[in-house]
Amino acid sequence: MMLKLFKEIRKTGCGTVGYPYAPLDLPKGYRGKPSHDEAACIACGACAVACPPNAISMELSSEQDQITWAINYGRCVFCGRCEEVCPTFAVKLSEEFELAVMSKDDLEESCAYPVATCARCGKPYASAKEIDYARRVLAQAGGGEAAGGGAPAAASEAPGAPAASAGSPADVAASLSKIGLCLECRRRDDGVAAVRHAPAQGGALC
Amino acid sequence: MLEASFPAALQYQPDPVVLDAKMAEAKAKLLESIKRSVYVYRVDCGGCNGCEIEIFGTITAAFDAERFGIKVVPSPRHADVLVYTGAVTRAMRMPALRAYHAAPDPKIVVSYGACGCTGGIFHDNYCVWGGTDKILPVDVFIPGCPPTPAQTIYGFAVALGLLDQKLHASHHVEEPGFAAPLAFPDVPYKVRVAIEREARALSGYRWGKEIADEFLDVLDAGGADVLGAVDALIEREPDPRRAEVLSALRRVLMAKVVA
Repeated sequence: MMLKLFKEIRKTGCGTVGYPYAPLDLPKGYRGKPSHDEAACIACGACAVACPPNAISMELSSEQDQITWAINYGRCVFCGRCEEVCPTFAVKLSEEFELAVMSKDDLEESCAYPVATCARCGKPYASAKEIDYARRVLAQAGGGEAAGGGAPAAASEAPGAPAASAGSPADVAASLSKIGLCLECRRRDDGVAAVRHAPAQGGALC
Repeated sequence: MLEASFPAALQYQPDPVVLDAKMAEAKAKLLESIKRSVYVYRVDCGGCNGCEIEIFGTITAAFDAERFGIKVVPSPRHADVLVYTGAVTRAMRMPALRAYHAAPDPKIVVSYGACGCTGGIFHDNYCVWGGTDKILPVDVFIPGCPPTPAQTIYGFAVALGLLDQKLHASHHVEEPGFAAPLAFPDVPYKVRVAIEREARALSGYRWGKEIADEFLDVLDAGGADVLGAVDALIEREPDPRRAEVLSALRRVLMAKVVA
């Protein structure tokens, strides 16, 4: 009886994980510490919006010239939403899991990006990197015609142009011409254009 | 969010227990002499039990925390280490303090899990204090939701001074003029978006992206015979489900290129 038990033990061997002395075997798709590629990040804030526990935050500095992407690993629940929504694949859940710290401040990581200001009203409206990225994506989508953004004259005419189908070269050119303006200025332009074109459409605004 | 919408000055915050220099000295002495006799008492301050299950996983045979002399004890009066899990609900503040004062001095306090560290997903809930450090002096924070047994063992090794912490605070400022690289610049934008959408619609965001990346890598490096390279990719895929998604992507590619 006893011998049988010893045989069984010998056959089974040691089942304990050797972790602190040997590297741990992690399964494929293990969700560890979210690693942030600062060069690929465009500071669009999609991850900050998606983050369920608000571990990722985007904050504009008091001088309004920098936007800071920050993550608190102490609040992160490792769900991977940030990785899913990132348009440039800058956030990736790595296999790093040794996150214990002695001081709470060590759980925070941040990166500040320059902010772009509106060509007309001068308000900060997005990170400069995001605008640059959007301009290049639009240029690629529209077949390589990269227009200089932010010309107010071109912007005020663009909404009045005959409705271009989404994704057509005319539509891309219109988007490119408006890219240097903040959301409020664009809305104002759209409103002005709608009022101007209302008589032509029978006077109804909506 | 309570922290943002309600002025901090009007919110009551509990005063955390403060340790004097003598206690810090005693703690250092304890760490020197504790060796392999670490008695742990865990206090559940409103956790979801995920952390408790992982602590249980840590003391089972597979991870065997008792290799390092770490034992879970049923009373704070026996404890050297107090492990606090959960976001510290208002009702659990007094019991948490009672457990703390019942443990003999000097003692090590470990804040366990995302909730214990900062309040985690409950950080802006009206009925939690949001973290053990709001009421007690914490020695080690072990983040994770919940921390895996390996993370727990690492956290205890840090608490006992056996391993150094790897994570450090970092702040980076990017100079103006840096441009983010475009993904797959040689693949037409509309084709890339159509492929990514189809892959993510079929296999979900995470795995869909992986499959789309694999497919686009082949398109990017395809050379003259792109369709041949795509067919080879589908051919060598061992998983029939992934092969099916890849052939769907091939159909999207055909439709886009023909159109």
